[in-house]
Amino acid sequence: MAGRGLGVQGITKRYGALEAVRDLSFDVRPGEVFGFVGSNGAGKTTTMRVVLGTLTSDAGRVLWDGSPITFEVRRRIGYMPEERGLYPKMRIGEQLVYLAQLHGATQPAAAAAVARWLERFQLKDRARDELQKLSHGNQQRVQLAAALVFEPLMLVLDEPFAGLDPEAVDSMSEVLHEQAQSGIPVIFSSHQLEIVERICDRVGIIQKGRLIANGTIDELRSHGPRQLWVDAPSAPPGWVASIGGVREVRVEGSRVLLELDASADDQTILRAALATGPVREFRANLPSLLDIFREAMTESTAAAVS
Amino acid sequence: MSRLGGDGLHTVFLIARREFITRVRSRVYLVATVVLMVLLAGFIVLQAEVLNKTTTTVTVGFVGASQALAKPLAATSAGGVTIETQLVQSMSSGEDQVRSGDLDALVSGDPSGPKVEYKDQLDSTLASNLTTLVQDVVFRQALTASGVDPATIEAKVAAAGIHPVALDPNAAQQSQRQVVGIFVAALLYIALAGYGSFVATGIVQEKANRIVEILLSTVRPRQLLFGKVVGIGLVGFIQLVLVGAVGLVTVMQTRAITVPAVGVTAVLGGLLWFVLGFVFYALIYAAAGSMVSRQEDVAAVTAPIGILIIASYFVFFWVEANPSNPIGIALSLLPPFAPVLMSARMATGDAQAWQVGLSILLMLAAIGGVNALAARIYSNSVLRVGSRVRLAEAWRGRA
Repeated sequence: MAGRGLGVQGITKRYGALEAVRDLSFDVRPGEVFGFVGSNGAGKTTTMRVVLGTLTSDAGRVLWDGSPITFEVRRRIGYMPEERGLYPKMRIGEQLVYLAQLHGATQPAAAAAVARWLERFQLKDRARDELQKLSHGNQQRVQLAAALVFEPLMLVLDEPFAGLDPEAVDSMSEVLHEQAQSGIPVIFSSHQLEIVERICDRVGIIQKGRLIANGTIDELRSHGPRQLWVDAPSAPPGWVASIGGVREVRVEGSRVLLELDASADDQTILRAALATGPVREFRANLPSLLDIFREAMTESTAAAVS
Repeated sequence: MSRLGGDGLHTVFLIARREFITRVRSRVYLVATVVLMVLLAGFIVLQAEVLNKTTTTVTVGFVGASQALAKPLAATSAGGVTIETQLVQSMSSGEDQVRSGDLDALVSGDPSGPKVEYKDQLDSTLASNLTTLVQDVVFRQALTASGVDPATIEAKVAAAGIHPVALDPNAAQQSQRQVVGIFVAALLYIALAGYGSFVATGIVQEKANRIVEILLSTVRPRQLLFGKVVGIGLVGFIQLVLVGAVGLVTVMQTRAITVPAVGVTAVLGGLLWFVLGFVFYALIYAAAGSMVSRQEDVAAVTAPIGILIIASYFVFFWVEANPSNPIGIALSLLPPFAPVLMSARMATGDAQAWQVGLSILLMLAAIGGVNALAARIYSNSVLRVGSRVRLAEAWRGRA
């Protein structure tokens, strides 16, 4: 388990009688974008705070490059809290330099990084403006810049896409990718599953404080049943019944959605379909992250009940 | 502080510098400082005026032979009374001037028994000085009549005198010192309560902004707390230095205080006790502020602290009136009251050296205790948003 990057091992956090997080473990490697998915109150923010050290867990540990994380490493984590917060009456340039210095950057390095990021976010000429004078979108950019201006060792972003317009979503995704490519672990949480699906290397699904799924999108997909869309317009109804291990799940016009169990062979199905006449469509139905999410939630709830 | 060595101190410095710069740059601070300086200088000038106003001027007119008394009478101007004399042409015009108030008295007739006319009240100093002069005139006439040269007698009389020995030379300064003491007490109470509540408000703002979450992901709660206290304290300290300097300069210029050392002691003592008192109270204000999340709730948690400071100010009036009362002395030694009471007692000159030393030692000990307490409450509460954190929870650190 002692790998590079972040390691979270068996974290449990209780607030009185409420167990916010229970025995949670996952790793995020350098260069990896890890998406944290779960409903409100599932424990995402608590987990992030434990990683940052602003909360102390009741059990478990947080590792960095295989050994317990130190204050010096934590200082250099770029963090964007779910509830955004900066000084509204402080000039953004000064504010970012100040925050960079608090994170351990020297004054010249901080000033250079702030100039670079303000340029990148097209806020260069606003450096002397108070934060409160900026538009909501620009304030969000400053908030992101605050997590970047000290060359962070890791990024931890709580709901970074919340409240962003599509353009801002794209530029945020771009920044996350760049940062990961520069070789640091990137963790973020989100409700927007299609974004997570698009930009994450790996996804963790958290429910009621427990990690119920953790893997690449492909790995998560492979857990579910194999499904096929087949469009054979000339096929008689019930043509699949004769094929072993295959079940018709849904019919849409001439298209059918088939679910295959382990014994079934998709090539057999294709031959059977071609035998009925032309085949216009034959493709694997990949479940969306939403499907996986729902599936995982139901499975885990069922497991809890039984 | 041991946990803040090296780089930790640099962080405290960064935080303190931000607090200092943003506050000193604000227009409110500039205006408040100037207003305070102007008010203090104005008060001192006014005070000096009142002191000078006790010298009244009496104008006396002389008609006819009585004019011989004019010069000697003017020479008797002394103490708080200046006597001005002028010659008047006629009785009637002199009497008109007395009625109109241009003259306080009109003297006429023979110098050995002149008539003195006045409107409704004869100035007592004038009456007694004039009487002495007239008696002197009669005395000289009698001496000359009996063949003695008045000059030899006068020389002997002039050489005679009393030998004054002051048994309590400081008593004269006492009233000045009391005024200075009240000033020091008032300034300290305003500065401690004011800057203390800035600490509480600043902390609640950071909680309300939610920036505290970002800050505490990179600095320790103690660093944030100390940086804030140092930064805001420095702002208050500089304001007091400026106001104190203006006060001292005005006092010297107007001679509102006759002994400059009194003013210097008051200013230095006041600054020392501001530093001690501020650290003590700011830590308490910080702990209280960290327990609430909204600006509206700050007043409720900080009110008891403010009351403690204001109470020491009002207690000072009683302490000052009873300088040797042991209860007053004891109160001035105890940390919550010492900043206001001891600094003011030092200004009035009532505090003895051992009392000053003991009160400083007690204060330092109290700061040590409050520091441990406040840092713990602050660390446990500052990230908790929502309803007010109860004291027991803040202490234990668990919900």
